[in-house]
Amino acid sequence: MKKSCIGLLIAALGAIPTTGFAQVKVGAKAEAGATIDADAEGADAKAGGDAKGSGDAAAAGEGDLGGAGEGVGDICKIDPSACPVLDMKKEAARPIKESIYAVQQLYVMRARRLEFNPWYNVSSLNDQFVQHKGPGVALTYFITNVLAIGANFRYYSPFNTDSAFNGQVRRAARVAVPLNEYQWGASLDFNYVFAYGKFAGFGDFIFEYDAYVLGGVGALSTRPIAVIDPDNRNFAYEPKLAADAGLGLRVFLSRWFAVNVAVKDYIYPEKLESLSVNEVDPGNKDGWVDKNPKLTNDVELQLGLSIFVPFSFDYRLPK
Amino acid sequence: MGQGRRKMTRNPRFTKRLLTALTAGLALLGLTEHAQAQELYMTGPLAGSPAVRKLRLYRQTRLEIAPAISFTLLDEYQRTILLGARLQFNFTDWLAIGGWGGLGSAIRLPTALTDNIQTVNAQRQKDQAPCVGMNTPACEGPNLTKRLTAVNMGPDLKKQLGGIDWIVSPQITLTPFRGKLALFQSIYLDTDLYISAGPAFVGLTERKNCDPCVNQFATASRTAVAPNVAAGLSFYVNKWSALGFEYRLVPFAWNISGFDTAGGGKDKGFPDNKIDSSDQRWRWNQMMTISYNFYLPTQYKVSE
Repeated sequence: MKKSCIGLLIAALGAIPTTGFAQVKVGAKAEAGATIDADAEGADAKAGGDAKGSGDAAAAGEGDLGGAGEGVGDICKIDPSACPVLDMKKEAARPIKESIYAVQQLYVMRARRLEFNPWYNVSSLNDQFVQHKGPGVALTYFITNVLAIGANFRYYSPFNTDSAFNGQVRRAARVAVPLNEYQWGASLDFNYVFAYGKFAGFGDFIFEYDAYVLGGVGALSTRPIAVIDPDNRNFAYEPKLAADAGLGLRVFLSRWFAVNVAVKDYIYPEKLESLSVNEVDPGNKDGWVDKNPKLTNDVELQLGLSIFVPFSFDYRLPK
Repeated sequence: MGQGRRKMTRNPRFTKRLLTALTAGLALLGLTEHAQAQELYMTGPLAGSPAVRKLRLYRQTRLEIAPAISFTLLDEYQRTILLGARLQFNFTDWLAIGGWGGLGSAIRLPTALTDNIQTVNAQRQKDQAPCVGMNTPACEGPNLTKRLTAVNMGPDLKKQLGGIDWIVSPQITLTPFRGKLALFQSIYLDTDLYISAGPAFVGLTERKNCDPCVNQFATASRTAVAPNVAAGLSFYVNKWSALGFEYRLVPFAWNISGFDTAGGGKDKGFPDNKIDSSDQRWRWNQMMTISYNFYLPTQYKVSE
C-alpha cells in the first residue's frame, strides 16, 4: 500500500512538469518554443549555438520545431554531428511538384462505418392531391468509402394530407380524382457516393459535403381513398412491390454528424379506385378498384440527419 | 467533534492517502491544462495571411450572361417551360446586381388532370347536345350537370386555364459559399452556391372577371408583383463558362383553373357564381432552372 502510494505520487508529480512545456500563450515570443516560424531569421538552423532567439530553446537554431529540451534541439545538444543542417536557400530553390489533389485528405472516411439516418419526408414533390409526409429511418453500412448497402423504413399512416384542392375540383368540375394514401414503406438500397467537395462560407469557415445516388427494392403499403362512392367503399392497406431511386446530399457538421437532404422516387403499381359504380350491388368489392394497376411515382423530399458510428476513425496515411 | 478531527489529522495512513490523492488530482488538473494550452503561434509568412491563396475570382468585375430554361413544379393543370436568361454584373466575387427573366407563353403542357377533366367535359357536351330545350327523364341528368358546371366549365378547359406569360425580376445575388467538387473521384470542378432575391413582375393570363359568368370564358391579362427568391449552384467548366442549377420561388395568388371556388358562404370559402379576385389561390410557384453561364471578360482574376 505504502509502495503503491509512493508510486502514484511519483507518477503524478512526473506529469506536472509537462504542463510547463505546453504553456505557450498566443502572442508570446519564440522563447517559449512550440512555435512555427517558417522563415525566421537565420533559419539555417545551425547546430548548437548561433542562437539569435532569446531563451535556451534557441540552442537548436531559430525555425526549429519543439522547445527547450525536446525535439531537434535535444539531438543537437547531445550530438551536434547528428543535428540536421538545412540550407534553406537551397531547399527553397528545389523544384516542387505542384500538382495538388482537390481534396488532400478526406474530411470524413465512411468505409466500415454505419450511418444512422433519421429523416422526415417534408413534401411529396409530384403529388398535388395528397401529401404523403411522415418520418423515416435508414441504416446504411459503408463497405468502401463510396459504396454502401442499407435498409430503411418509412411510416406515413397518420400523416397523409388530402389537399383542399381536391374538393374544389370535385365541386367545380363535377369530376372526381381518384386518390390514394400510404401506410408504410421499406426498402433495401445500394448507395454510391459519386461526388464530394467542400465549400468555404463567407471566407470564414469551411464545410464538407458529399452527394450520393441510391437504388433498391422494397415494399410500399397503400390504399385508395374512397371518393367516387365513399358511402359503400372502404379500402384496406395492401403492400406492393416498390423499386426506388434517389439522389442525396450530406453536409457534414463534424466527422460523424451531417445534415442529409434527399430526393427519392418510389415506383410501384397502384390500384386506384374505380370510377364506375355498380349500382345493383355497390357493396361488391370486385368492382371497387381498377383492374389494371397504374405504375405510380412517389417523389419525396426528405430532410434528416446522418450520424456515423464509430464516431472517430484513423487515416491510413498521414496528411 | 474535536476528538474526531484529532483522529483524522493524526492518522498517518490517512494523511498519506490524502496527500497522494491531492497530488494525483493536481497532476490531472495539470494534464488538462496541458491540452488546453496546445495553441500554435503563427509567425512568418502565414501570420495574418488569407485562408486561401491564389483564389480564382470567377465573378469579380465580370459580366454574367446566362441563357436559362425554367420548369415550373407541382402544377395542377398546366406546366410552363420558361425560356429566358439571367444577366448580371458582379461587382465583387460575392455581390452581383442584375436581373432574371423568362417567357412562358411559348411552351405550356397540360397535366393529366386537365386531360381527364376535358375528356369528361367533352363527353358531357356530346350527351347534352340533343337535350337542349328538352325536359325528358333521359335528359334530366345531362341538363343538371350542365347547370351545375355552367359557371366553371367552358367548351374547352385548356382555353380557360391561367398561365404565366412572362416574368422579369431585378435581383441582387449574393455568393456566400464557394468551393470545389470531386466527381467520381476523377473530375474536379470549382463550384459556388448563391442566393438571389428581388421583386418579380409577372405577366399573367387568367380567366376574366365576370358576373354573371354563364358562357363567359374569355381570358384577360394582368401583371402581378411578387417576391422572388432563388438559390443555385454554379459548376465552372472553364475560365469563362459554368453550368448552373437553380431553384426559384415566386409566390403570389392567381386563378389557375378559371373555376369559381370562393367568395361566398362561410369565410367566403364557397362558390358565389362570380369570377373575381377571391377565386385566386395562393401558390408558391416553384421552378427549377438550368442555365449555361458565360462570363466576360473571358479571363478571371486571381487573388494574391
